[in-house]
Amino acid sequence: MLLREVEYAKPGSVAQALELLAANDGARALAGGQTLINVMKARAASPDMLVDLNGLAELRGIELAADGTLTIGAMTTYTELMRSAEAKARPILGEVCATIADVQVRNRGTIGGNVCANDPTNHLPPLMVAVGARMTIAGAAGEREVTAEEFFLGVYMTAVGQGELLTKIAIPAGKKDGFAAVTLGTEGTCICNAAATVNGSVRVALGCVDAVPVLVTADSPDGIAEAVRAAGIEPPSDVHASAEYRLHLAAVLATRAAQEAAAR
Amino acid sequence: MDVSVTVNGTTYARDVEPRKLLIHFLRDDLDLTGSHIGCDTGNCGACSVIVDGVLVKSCMLLAVQADGASIETVEGISENGELTPLQQSFNEHHALQCGYCTPGMLMSATALLRDNASPSDAEIKKALQGNICRCTGYWNIFEAVKAVAK
Amino acid sequence: MTEDSTTTVAPAPVEVQKGWAGQSVKRREDKRLLQGEGVFVDDIKRHGMGYLHFVRSPYAHAHITRIDVSAAEAVDGVYGTLTGEEVAALTDPFFQISSAPGANIKDYSLALGKVRFVGEPVVAVVAETRELARDASELVEVDYEPLAAVVDARHAQDADAPVLHDDAEGNLMWTGLYSWGDLDAAFAEADRVIEIPELHFHRFNSTPLECDGALVEFNRGVEQWTIHTNNQFPGFAAIMMGPAMKVGLDKLRFVTQDIGGGFGNKITSHPQLVVCCLLARKLNRPIQWTEWRTDFHLSMSHGNERWFRDTKVAVKDDGTLLGFRTKALDDAGAWLRYEPLGGVIWAQVTPGMYRWRHIELDFTQVATNKAPVSPNRGYSRMQHLWFTERVIDIVAKELDLDPVEVRKKNYIRAEDMPYETPNGCVYDSGDYARMLDLALELIDYDAMAGRKAAAKEQGKLLGVGIGSTLDSGTNNFGQSRLINPELQFSGNNEVATVKLDIFGEIVVTLGTTPQGQGHETTAAQVVADILNCALEDVHVRAGHDSYWNSHAGFSGTYASQFAVTGLSAVKGATEMLRDEIFKLAGAVFGGVPAEALELADGGIRIKENPDAFLPFMACGAIINANNAGLPEDLDVTLNCRYVYRPPFEVPDVETKFGNLTLTYAAQLHVAVVEIDPETGYYEIVDYAAVDDCGKRINPQIVEGQVMGATAQAIGAVIHETYEYDEDGNLLTPNFYDYHVPHALDMPPLATGAIESPSPFTPLGTKGMGEGGGAGIHAVCAAIQDATGVVVTDSHNPYRRVWEMLR
Ligand SMILES: Cc1cc2nc3c(=O)[nH]c(=O)nc-3n(C[C@H](O)[C@H](O)[C@H](O)COP(=O)(O)OP(=O)(O)OC[C@H]3O[C@@H](n4cnc5c(N)ncnc54)[C@H](O)[C@@H]3O)c2cc1C
Ligand code: FES
Ligand code: FES
Repeated sequence: MLLREVEYAKPGSVAQALELLAANDGARALAGGQTLINVMKARAASPDMLVDLNGLAELRGIELAADGTLTIGAMTTYTELMRSAEAKARPILGEVCATIADVQVRNRGTIGGNVCANDPTNHLPPLMVAVGARMTIAGAAGEREVTAEEFFLGVYMTAVGQGELLTKIAIPAGKKDGFAAVTLGTEGTCICNAAATVNGSVRVALGCVDAVPVLVTADSPDGIAEAVRAAGIEPPSDVHASAEYRLHLAAVLATRAAQEAAAR
Repeated sequence: MDVSVTVNGTTYARDVEPRKLLIHFLRDDLDLTGSHIGCDTGNCGACSVIVDGVLVKSCMLLAVQADGASIETVEGISENGELTPLQQSFNEHHALQCGYCTPGMLMSATALLRDNASPSDAEIKKALQGNICRCTGYWNIFEAVKAVAK
Repeated sequence: MTEDSTTTVAPAPVEVQKGWAGQSVKRREDKRLLQGEGVFVDDIKRHGMGYLHFVRSPYAHAHITRIDVSAAEAVDGVYGTLTGEEVAALTDPFFQISSAPGANIKDYSLALGKVRFVGEPVVAVVAETRELARDASELVEVDYEPLAAVVDARHAQDADAPVLHDDAEGNLMWTGLYSWGDLDAAFAEADRVIEIPELHFHRFNSTPLECDGALVEFNRGVEQWTIHTNNQFPGFAAIMMGPAMKVGLDKLRFVTQDIGGGFGNKITSHPQLVVCCLLARKLNRPIQWTEWRTDFHLSMSHGNERWFRDTKVAVKDDGTLLGFRTKALDDAGAWLRYEPLGGVIWAQVTPGMYRWRHIELDFTQVATNKAPVSPNRGYSRMQHLWFTERVIDIVAKELDLDPVEVRKKNYIRAEDMPYETPNGCVYDSGDYARMLDLALELIDYDAMAGRKAAAKEQGKLLGVGIGSTLDSGTNNFGQSRLINPELQFSGNNEVATVKLDIFGEIVVTLGTTPQGQGHETTAAQVVADILNCALEDVHVRAGHDSYWNSHAGFSGTYASQFAVTGLSAVKGATEMLRDEIFKLAGAVFGGVPAEALELADGGIRIKENPDAFLPFMACGAIINANNAGLPEDLDVTLNCRYVYRPPFEVPDVETKFGNLTLTYAAQLHVAVVEIDPETGYYEIVDYAAVDDCGKRINPQIVEGQVMGATAQAIGAVIHETYEYDEDGNLLTPNFYDYHVPHALDMPPLATGAIESPSPFTPLGTKGMGEGGGAGIHAVCAAIQDATGVVVTDSHNPYRRVWEMLR
């Protein structure tokens, strides 16, 4: 409640949005606001200006290419993604989005915002790493593409620099995915989570155990728990889980996600 | 900034600080105190309203973001002061005690039933997940919504 | 919540229902609440009001070395501030309930010289808008000199522990030894002594969805404050505030209407209300204060955290319980705002549901650098009952007996009622064994062995557990003298007025402050029955207003008593009114005796001659506006005030013996949990709750209370906890980290009820609504059953279950 003073701008194009962000060090993009507004309520962060991306049709929408690649606009909401016929090409996306928070949050929260926030408990960062997503970042100098692994840099930090925007996320074709989490209550905030993809070998990305998703690989689901334990992860301790418990969960959930993926 | 919104059919134009949350705007500036505040982290849903057909928590967006929008709040549910079947069902099933969560619950249930007139039990519960009630334990709220679902 | 989410088994009505009482009449308060037309405290506005924001302590323990409000006050639109120094100049410290050493602490409504918990109000800032008040509060400069904090009650009395209150010369606030029966004989007679080193009941509260708040106006002309608030016990707030502010109680007018849940957590807002009052006078404008969720979590009414240490239980090999000894260590947090009453309230239910006669409990309450504790649904009894239930299941496990059998062997029996407990409390009525049978039937207990085996096949652990609580209601405030013999409180009371107005309106006012319990409905049911009229003809005023003159010292809505005190007051006042109507009609009809008259159809008539009918409207008009010619000795006002006073004696301070509460509603819950042993994650897959609160005026409202209490229990045992780090920072300051169950978290619920009418109350009712603790234990016991590991904590998140299984 009761934010600090802030300026508000609602650009009509991505170009305009980039200009606004570049011109003002204290400007922040406002996507669904389902993280940013909370941070501002707590006055933990107080941008000088909010650049509202909600009017930008360019950032919305989901396309399915002939090779099965899905391209998802950063401002696509979880609800839109869950309802999209195209997004069914990679079913895990809609399935995971359907377990994020609740209807109201899903109606406003965006795919782009979720990964840009990179809250370690968020659902999508590990999922993006597991499925091998590629992020397109636009800035004054034009567009560049980074892999999900390169995208996440730290808690609330990503490859999106000052004056830049994440515009879209490309996700390759695939079906053999899994996701497992232990959450606070049914479908609540993650205490630990794991996203898996089987494509010959097994890729599992773990959430909540480090500042960024931790990728582990193995030849088969049977080997993944061992790989987790060997990865040298030092998870944080907090009121919901000790480091030890998180590490244990990571191995269990990685295996479950991998088994689910393999079974599809 | 100038903001113009239509709430329950009435258009209001006001000068609003950009930092003002929609819930504060509705309650403090427009005197529409039916929508409530139960948290400061977007968890409780007491502030739920429908903006341009979409169910949202009005503490999770700025009033300026609603400029030009059509908003529905609990005050707009009844017609001519009569309780609707959904409201009656809440009464019949004792789906409210203190009534503080009720406006948000009604908006969530309204959005659900508009979208899906015959929700399954699981769909009803999922639709209410974003609304905290500390009095009822939800069982009667679930029954109340189920009773009006076709 | 899964498919058939609720099943209900209700008793056959105890007697043939003639009138409204006993029926699930639909609530009358619902219409306004469903239309967004309730009036909650933050909905109230006044011209020129200023918004109050508190500057709060970022430290758990620190000296305040400097406060500078000048920058804040210089901001355009800031109306003013208040500091602890000003408070200390204008008010006396709050009266302390405790005897020494707790009695010696000095509690003001803002921190003075020192802060003692994170979130403690230090300065109040008032401004033209909410946002501005918060902005300006960031400009208040406070210098702190941090001190070491004590967070774990078990170390509060260590020699090197930091001391919160120098005036108390240590962190001990109150201590008292309770001993009844012959402990030595019991332990000599025992076949076995079972030792339980430590049990812990955790800190949480009910987190009403609406936080605290007030809109306070000061009338300079008559020097009187009007306090619109959601405080749920204005009688208590008044006796705290009046002396502190050095004004008579008539200067403090409390007004409430709709309250967004209370559960005891809204009793102790008096410090904040004093701040509002002082600022309303200082700034000469209405003061609006709304507490936000994080403020509430940081600072308001945590439930009592309690440790039970060195417990020894005397038992026979066959499971007969003889007695126990234990040391209860209670963590009061930083201030005694209602405490140390928790140090005696538990004694209302000393033996729980069991027949052991030899009980010793050494109670100690200490201060820590955490938020102050205050009543929370099931206040202080919940902790103790959880403990007694834990003892039962631990004994059963040690003796390798079935927990059902141990309970049945030791339950106080229906034929023992009314039953005098070892400390002189009188359980009025009840049949615990029958409740247990009903609950086991609802859960299909016989199928458990098969279900456990089936779960095992799936790699899961299934367990079933029983929990019970006694919801003792209608306090004898005389018990406060066991805490402090100097106190001049005893008994209890509640008020109602019922009048017939000029146009025949039946208007009822209550002294209570309902927060969802449906008082407007149940009171109308009682009135309509007595006046033999339609429910619609009865107008029960919403909320509380101390100007109505319908309150007394203990008025409020707390501690499970409305169905007894509130409704008995309503009954008393309505019967007075009825008798007056008879008198009036007798006179108007020319000397017709009362026996020849009857109430019907919204009026009174002569039985033999129904055409001789005097509608209530005529009665009201005659007395209020058309009274010439009435007999001089006709003593009728049609405005009747009744004070219900339950029959109590002052308990004996030396032996700590006496009846502490009038009624004992009972709850018997059974939970079935299924645990994923790999992760510790578990779900409650089945749940049954059986309630007995005597005669139910409105069964649907009663069931609603049972459901709500159950949901809170489920939240408390799995998720809800106020946990602090070692520096005294609260780790669960909002609904993100303090997870409150939502619709998807609810198990299928079967409810059942029996009715054992109270022989001690005018309507056979018992207070109810606080029985959630039963669920906490039921889940603990189910976890113990599933894992085979003794559960020692009331809070069992997944991580703890996982740790238990390692
Ligand atoms: C009650 C509640 C529960 C929640 N539970 C979960 C949960 O269980 N799992 C989960 O994953 N999430 C959860 N969330 C968070 C939610 O998913 C948010 O929607 C998400 O974290 C952020 O997305 P957003 O669109 O709302 O972004 P915003 O809040 O608008 O923005 C987040 C950050 O990303 C930046 N940003 C946003 N979009 C862009 C862009 N295109 N380019 C550059 N920067 C950008 C913003 O500047 C800001 O710093 C919850 C939120 C709430 C309120
Ligand atoms: S007030 Fe908006 S979600 Fe709680
Ligand atoms: S009825 Fe009180 S919070 Fe839902």
